[in-house]
Amino acid sequence: MNNRQVFDRRDWMRLAAGTACGVATSPLSSVLANAAKQSGRHCVLLWMSGGPSQIDTFDMKPGHVNGGTIKPISTAVPGIAWSEHLPRLAKEAKSIAVIRGMSTKEGDHERGTVLMRTGHVPGGAVVYPSMGASLSKSLTDSLGTEPLSLPSYVSISPGPFSRSATGPGFLGPKHAAMLVAAAGQQNDNPGQDAVQGFAQLRVDFMRRSMEVDSGRYRSRIQFWQQMQADFLKDRPNANVVAHDTVYQSAIRMMESEASEAFDLDAEPDSVRESYGRDSFGQGCLMARRLIERGVSMIEVNLGNGLGWDTHADNFTQVRRLSEQLDNGWSALMSELRDRGLLERTTIVWAGEFGRTPKINNNGGRDHFPQAFSCVLAGGGIAGGQVYGATSQDGSEVTDGKMDQQDLLATLCQALGVNPSTEHMADGGRPIRIAEGDVIDELLS
Amino acid sequence: MRWKSVDRRGGLRDGTVKTPIAPIIGGIGKGLCCQFVCRQRRDPLRRGVSIILWALAIVFAESILTSSLLTGSPLTGSLSASEIASVDQAVTRINALLARGWERDGVTPARVSGDSEFCRRIWLDLAGVAPPVAEVRSFLLDARPHKREELIDRLLRSSMHARHMAGRWNDILLPDDLGPQSRANVIELNRWLRTQFSDNIPYDHLVGRFLTAGGDGNSGPAIFYTAHSLAPEKIASATSRIFLGLQLQCAQCHDHPFDRWTQDEFWSYAAFFGQLESRQDRRSRTTLVIDRPGREVHFPDSDRVMQPRYPGIKQRPDKDPADNRRRQLTIWLASRDNPYFARAAVNRAWGHLFARGIVDPVDAMDADNPASHPELLAYLADYFVDIRFDLRLLYATLARTNAYQLTSIASNTKNAPAYTFATMRPKTLTPQQYYDSLVQNVLRQSLDSDNSDSAMRNVQREQFLSRMRAGSGSPDQYPHGIVQALGLLNGPEIGMATTGQNGLLVAIEAPFLSDRDRIETLFLATLSRLPTQQEFDQCLQMIDATMKDDSSADRNATERKSSDWQSSDRDLSNRGAAVSNQKAAALGDILWALLNTAECAVSP
Repeated sequence: MNNRQVFDRRDWMRLAAGTACGVATSPLSSVLANAAKQSGRHCVLLWMSGGPSQIDTFDMKPGHVNGGTIKPISTAVPGIAWSEHLPRLAKEAKSIAVIRGMSTKEGDHERGTVLMRTGHVPGGAVVYPSMGASLSKSLTDSLGTEPLSLPSYVSISPGPFSRSATGPGFLGPKHAAMLVAAAGQQNDNPGQDAVQGFAQLRVDFMRRSMEVDSGRYRSRIQFWQQMQADFLKDRPNANVVAHDTVYQSAIRMMESEASEAFDLDAEPDSVRESYGRDSFGQGCLMARRLIERGVSMIEVNLGNGLGWDTHADNFTQVRRLSEQLDNGWSALMSELRDRGLLERTTIVWAGEFGRTPKINNNGGRDHFPQAFSCVLAGGGIAGGQVYGATSQDGSEVTDGKMDQQDLLATLCQALGVNPSTEHMADGGRPIRIAEGDVIDELLS
Repeated sequence: MRWKSVDRRGGLRDGTVKTPIAPIIGGIGKGLCCQFVCRQRRDPLRRGVSIILWALAIVFAESILTSSLLTGSPLTGSLSASEIASVDQAVTRINALLARGWERDGVTPARVSGDSEFCRRIWLDLAGVAPPVAEVRSFLLDARPHKREELIDRLLRSSMHARHMAGRWNDILLPDDLGPQSRANVIELNRWLRTQFSDNIPYDHLVGRFLTAGGDGNSGPAIFYTAHSLAPEKIASATSRIFLGLQLQCAQCHDHPFDRWTQDEFWSYAAFFGQLESRQDRRSRTTLVIDRPGREVHFPDSDRVMQPRYPGIKQRPDKDPADNRRRQLTIWLASRDNPYFARAAVNRAWGHLFARGIVDPVDAMDADNPASHPELLAYLADYFVDIRFDLRLLYATLARTNAYQLTSIASNTKNAPAYTFATMRPKTLTPQQYYDSLVQNVLRQSLDSDNSDSAMRNVQREQFLSRMRAGSGSPDQYPHGIVQALGLLNGPEIGMATTGQNGLLVAIEAPFLSDRDRIETLFLATLSRLPTQQEFDQCLQMIDATMKDDSSADRNATERKSSDWQSSDRDLSNRGAAVSNQKAAALGDILWALLNTAECAVSP
């Protein structure tokens, strides 16, 4: 019922923007921002490719030989401590729930990534969609309005297994993620070249070729429109109509103001700085801009390639990655809160698995799916808590054991999506988004 | 040379072409190439010569350089007299059965398709690519009454057809997302399939070979088993779906609610695949599948050993002497006792050509999903057995039917439901068809994967396919979204094709071509038809608009009208003028728009 009202209001506002205000002063983006504020729910997946070390981030073991060199600090919530390299995030602890009892069976990067992102092991008869695809579909479906001029699922600087991990599976390519690539990774180490600019994020195929000026572009589109109209007149078949609809949306998006979401130059340098200059930080900033414009599902990848795969020299690398994580994530949370959007946005922090508690001979940690941590934050989440526990040496889960399906089901619930929502696989077979248990303690 | 052709709206175009071979040859000596030499830094001579050869092929409809893969046998006599007789008989029968349906449903069938519509359709269906420019031109010029039949038979015998069928079956056999499978194994399967189709192995033998394949030197089909994790239940549901058209898999966990399949029947069928093991071949680095007699499949959560049993057949078969169950299943599959096999095969072939099966979807032929034309389906299944599972003959038959000749232009057939086949339906091209057509007709590269510089091209092809991967959607849907559309609008493939220093755009720069020739060539290369007068005028306007800034001198040197063809005595230095950069850009713009049209994305 509530949705219905929102729908009407949005329509009215859009109408107002289109007719009364005129084009020159039309605050299209603020209309969209308002719409996002009032209706949709959003999900941000902070993906740690390579498998982050739980003991050096959210499940520290001070005093134990497995604990390593990184020290814990206290957070805004008494009794909860985590890595000293996440100090800004520590201030947000009241909105954050740490899950320490994750446990799965996949210790291979690709298989683990597919498992965590789809909830299922790869290679079966059914190709499962990534959680991004099924959640963005459900979140958009529940809006009940026509699609915005932006795609509902965006993946920023996707990792090496992006195809299987961000794939739409049986939902079909319509639900695939729009990819935003990080151009040039030289800025990923802010300590080294702080004088340089910000990491550049490039949306795949958003802009026309540089060689084609606006005059030529207009003439191309004009001729194309005429050809489309003629062909549609002769053949108003479903596939031909759908081709035209999809293309018209894509062209609208290229030309629309909403695509400014991807233009980070529009932000003041001080804001960009607060997120960190690296591609993860800038990705978090882009996520905020996308949420303001109603995009329901955004993934931001940290760890170019397999950055968190710290088989050697674990502590230096984790420190560097944690600093990037701390800036981007905490800035995202505080800016969303300022805009009243945090309560509508659920944030997930996860990687394909954790890392061995035991430190190897190279000062590194190896793959460890048996006991690791994930984090939920923001809307729908009962923050300020730790759920689950591992043994003193970190080698096994002793309390609150969860697997990828439980995490997915809980995330669905936090977003207001029924985890038993069924989507149709090939051959008309209904398949639920998540089959795991919803952990009520994690929900607000 | 007088020529006539029918454009897509059925209007008649004709024109007079004087063949200016002599002046061209003379012109080469007179420095006709010098324009190119001036403009090109790299290898100008080769470029100039190749442009001229291409342009000759385009203009004079001589298949000088048509795809090296189109090694067809002579145009006539490709079917034997007895084959022709049985094909004719079958076509008559199919026509009658469909016509009866039209009468019953009160629909008027669409009119017969124009030549260019048919040419595009049959090429895409049988060869997997849109026809090369010269092929469309010569087909349009061909005045013989049986040219359609001849084209059908020639395409069926081309290696393009084997390549296309192998690609189709590759997609049918393997799951949409292979997961971490070795690329070498996929290539191996493709190569294996290509050999079968190019030898026209009867379909029952083909499936038999596929289902019993294993051991050294026969590793092609192995990936089918490993992609299904060698799990009897997965292989059971895949094989029953693909070869029998049955959706047994729901009975894996419970008795099928709408059908007769019981869980018991599912696991009895799965027992045929209970003995598989895989091994790594050290030399070829591919996977082999071998049989280990003695292994058993158990009913879920029990110790009950399942005895192998054919689906839908009550009686349990006698035990195979060597307990080679895959072989045992194969013998039954192709036997007359199997009520599903031929039926599923003809339905799939029908669905391939007509965008929808007689039972649709083609792999869900269960009891709750009735056929639109039960009699036709039964007839085709019997016919397929009679012609000994000859796939080429089956396709030659289906493509000759009246229904396949119909146009997909909706006019008086608006209310004809899809299942009546009273009108053809445009089929969305697979990403492979689109990409290969682009490569062949626009980038003008060889499709032959054994080519020396194929490695890079294969990477580019894979990148495109992986972006556009559409799963097993029906061809009368458009599966793509905004992301894919942006990739086509602004992505590297069409970008390369429309700004390129290679391919079609360079070929049509040939100085002896008029703008009409150039525009026609762009339409033929992308949409497989000539432009209408209105489209032609629009294109000319686009060229004029970009040429406005040009100086009038330049314009005079470069702008020529189609009437030039009639003035053979015109000074050669004028004819040899190059295309200005502005005009080249305008031609690129036209090409860009054409490649992004819905018309270019479907087979009509």
